[in-house]
Amino acid sequence: MTVTTAAPRPRVSRGPALAHSPVLRLVVKRLLMAIPILLGVTALAFWVLSLIPGNAAQQLLGPEATPEQVHQLEQQLGLDKPGIVRYLDWLKGAVHGDFGKSLVSGQPVSELLPGRLAVTGELVFLAFFVSLAVAIPVALLAARRPNGVVDRLSMMIGTAGLSVANYVLALVLVLIFAVGLGWLPAIGYEPLSSGLWANLKTMILPSAAIGIPLFCFYGRFLRSDLVDQMQGEDYITTAQAKGLGPWQVLVRHAFRNSSFGLITVVGLNLGTLIGGTVIIEQIFALPGLGQLLLQSINTRDFVVVLAAVVIFAVVAVLANLIVDLLYAVLDPRIRYGSH
Amino acid sequence: MAVIDTPLGVSEHPGVEHEEAVRPSRWRGKLGVWIPAGLVVLIVAACFLAPLVFDLPKPIGGDVLDSYLPTGSPGHPLGTDGNGNDTLSRVLYGGRASLLIAVTVNLLGLLVGGTLGALSGQIGGAVDTTIMRLLDVLIAFPSLVLTLAVAQAPGPSMRNTILALAFFSIPAFARVARAAVLRLRSLPFMAAAELCGTPRWRVLFRHLAPNIAPQVITFGMLGMGIVIIIEGALSFLGLGVPRPNPSWGNMIADGQQSLSATPGLVLWPSLALLITVLSFNLLGENLRVRWSGR
Repeated sequence: MTVTTAAPRPRVSRGPALAHSPVLRLVVKRLLMAIPILLGVTALAFWVLSLIPGNAAQQLLGPEATPEQVHQLEQQLGLDKPGIVRYLDWLKGAVHGDFGKSLVSGQPVSELLPGRLAVTGELVFLAFFVSLAVAIPVALLAARRPNGVVDRLSMMIGTAGLSVANYVLALVLVLIFAVGLGWLPAIGYEPLSSGLWANLKTMILPSAAIGIPLFCFYGRFLRSDLVDQMQGEDYITTAQAKGLGPWQVLVRHAFRNSSFGLITVVGLNLGTLIGGTVIIEQIFALPGLGQLLLQSINTRDFVVVLAAVVIFAVVAVLANLIVDLLYAVLDPRIRYGSH
Repeated sequence: MAVIDTPLGVSEHPGVEHEEAVRPSRWRGKLGVWIPAGLVVLIVAACFLAPLVFDLPKPIGGDVLDSYLPTGSPGHPLGTDGNGNDTLSRVLYGGRASLLIAVTVNLLGLLVGGTLGALSGQIGGAVDTTIMRLLDVLIAFPSLVLTLAVAQAPGPSMRNTILALAFFSIPAFARVARAAVLRLRSLPFMAAAELCGTPRWRVLFRHLAPNIAPQVITFGMLGMGIVIIIEGALSFLGLGVPRPNPSWGNMIADGQQSLSATPGLVLWPSLALLITVLSFNLLGENLRVRWSGR
């Protein structure tokens, strides 16, 4: 790491040390680097959309429309301008915080997205929350006695759960809890405003379909990490030698260290997870971001697609950044920015 | 590999003995690899050889009069779908499509992504930063948009599905290969190779490649499962393998419409999907355990 401070001076407060910390510089550097990534992602999305035959005007008017009608609407929507001009126009607006209006509904994207984002956000949050809340105690129990009954059982369930496609799981859950038992609705969405239980009833099956494979993944990861810590690390021996009970060593020492690894995996997973909600929203007819993205691609509504792509990309970039940061923070042998 | 960076190269963690303690006994380790490997061979044989050896009905162009026959009907052991096509035959032919796509996508990812990532990690500096940031764009990009475009522009086909999926396996393989190379870069044998004046390509293919192969191949096995699942998801959305040709994904999606009346139409392809993905996952996982134990 290159040190920028020239004059050696005593470090009294933590402030200056933090300002010169490599971690902070990494954050700033990576946030600056996110700009070209976002540019690349939106440009790629725009280019890819222009490859699909047909535009929003044709899709809106349907196959019966005359070429004149299509041409008129194209002019109205500004689709007659060359692609690069349209992209730059969009970019200019986006930089100023104006993501434009939907070509299909005419609604401003800033009004269209928050509701959708809330649905997808709730779905992801529930799936995350439930999977972690179950995975952590199960992994601790399993790591307490490696190769014991709990460990074997959770390993088996975990391996099976990891191999199930979430759309298959969704259908199985519908078959059992909606068709068979009739406890929960098979499809549909109720907003939070119509009551917490009404809302949760429509969200349980979709978030379970996403959360169960996640639970298996996190549980297995944490379990093997814990076992590694317990068997190979000196600080565990120290803690045991101090006379701490097995649970205290496991929870207060091993789990503390393993939790960093878990956070890393969770962060890396976030991008793929949000992408995975598309199909679940489709199966359960949830009005989320994924469904909007799918519809907008079908109607060639590039304004909405670009906005959705930006959101997906920002989440993925941030998750990536946090993971890289954690690597640097946790493992001093890995240094960024110096060679 | 904490051993390497400690001063004087003195090992703080004689970790080998500890790892030995958790490793399953020799024959169980072997069984853990051979059983899923055998299952994979069995599945491949069933999908590619069974239709040649046994006289199966065709997977498409069935008689509508035979539609929705239940499981166990004469001539149709797993019943038929809404178009009167034999479900068993569709599961086997659908498996062909899934396996072919998964193998091709992973090979592309392994060759292109693996080389790119290893090279990026080996060279380092500005080259590394450039390659990885370009791949970040692909990772940050919602894959659905690209796959939809690729599938819609010239129409869904197996080749387009493979290309679209390969785009997303390449950055994943690149990351795995790069991380593995970074871990090796500070080892003495790398310095030795450099001191001997070994050309870069030779270091890459003769020294780095064999060392990162276990990690990359293990990832490829897990990748097989992932690609089979994603291909199913694409077919589910009406992309991927074009109908009426069967794939596990589009069979599950079609069966969804009559889920409560004929759950078998969802059950059989789902079961095939599950067993296949499970075998590949177990194989990858157990290979990892065996190789990392060495």
